[in-house]
Amino acid sequence: MSEAYFPVGPGLGLEENFLSLDDILMSQEKLPGRAESTLPRLAFALGQGAGAGSGDSIPEGSKLEIPLWLAKGLHDSKRRIISMELPKIYKEAWRTVFSADANVVDLHKMGPYYYGFGSQLLNFDNPENPEIAQTILQTFISRFRRIMDSSQNAYNEDTSALVARLDELERALFRAGQKGLNDFQCWEKGQASQITASSLVQNYGKRKFTDMDG
Amino acid sequence: MDPAAGSGALWVGLRRRSANGEGGRGTRRVRVRCRRGPPGCRAPGTMEPAEAEFLAEKELVTIVPNFSLDRIHLIGGDLGPFNPGLPVEVPVWLAINLKQRQKCRLIPPEWMDVEKLEEIRDQERKEDTFTPMPSPYYMELTKLLLNYASDNIPKADEIRTLVKDTWDTRIAKLRLSADSFVKQQEAHAKVRWGRLERFASSVLGVFQMPCDCVGL
Repeated sequence: MSEAYFPVGPGLGLEENFLSLDDILMSQEKLPGRAESTLPRLAFALGQGAGAGSGDSIPEGSKLEIPLWLAKGLHDSKRRIISMELPKIYKEAWRTVFSADANVVDLHKMGPYYYGFGSQLLNFDNPENPEIAQTILQTFISRFRRIMDSSQNAYNEDTSALVARLDELERALFRAGQKGLNDFQCWEKGQASQITASSLVQNYGKRKFTDMDG
Repeated sequence: MDPAAGSGALWVGLRRRSANGEGGRGTRRVRVRCRRGPPGCRAPGTMEPAEAEFLAEKELVTIVPNFSLDRIHLIGGDLGPFNPGLPVEVPVWLAINLKQRQKCRLIPPEWMDVEKLEEIRDQERKEDTFTPMPSPYYMELTKLLLNYASDNIPKADEIRTLVKDTWDTRIAKLRLSADSFVKQQEAHAKVRWGRLERFASSVLGVFQMPCDCVGL
């Protein structure tokens, strides 16, 4: 019935939770950028490939794809090291797609952490930030109803078709809705008051009482 | 952000910058938030139906025992002297237990009556807001009493149907207002709903709002 432990959830808005697995995975997503100054001896870590021998420096102005956690660390207001651009799904073209109809977009394919990553992008000073924030918000609002309805009405069904196009945050919401529904149905059937072995104990491999001889 | 505060609760936090584009702290959040619940439960704020049922069992119900016993003193309070044939008020957990051992007869609560429930159901269907229910635990009490003591309750099946109809209407209203809450980007749902029982919010899981809501 109750869970054995409480995982740390993802952070709110522009903050990240250090201990949250979702946030860690989310910040691994890459975003495009350029090196603003020469980065000596970093070609092996950030470089594009075998062209540069190890030990060479990254020339100024070359394009890079770096993960979010690194981008946040290297970004500063004087912008001497790196300048970041928006990934394409947060740009103007896709923003109009989202505002047209957000329900048809496959958010899982677009980077499974659309909302979290988008919120983190607001950390970088970018003149388009208000529009990005607005788009993310509106996308969530338009998709929310469908998630709520489908999670509350799919009982004992295969939900993979419903969940396939949702990003991670929406999937968590969906799972919560399913849990509420399953708990209610289980209560209605009277199974809630039956005692079952805890999932932790079942894995211990202790011999059951009936198996003991003598 | 304090990890302990975030544990288990699901936050949808989307900040919206103020319209003038100034990147300051003038932001608004949209969050779908879990209500406070008893400590040690699965996620801070949500309650499972089984837990709501446990709390429902503290409600008092009238029984007519067929045995006699002096006043018993329990930690939660005293339970009055039992005399055969004389009605006495006891908590539901005790009433169910005595009924299962065939030591009493249950008297249905006064709201568990076909006409009253029909009235409530019709009013629920007419109004857009939630009507106050006769007991905050009407779902759990209906299930418990009708499962264990249906022979003491007249027209048990009709009562079950009526309560289920009322429940369906209320849940539909709850979903509708959850949806409009998100659409209107309310910071909190400070909306008064009459008395929304905990049980309804446990079914919606994380989609529940903080308790007080003003009529939508």
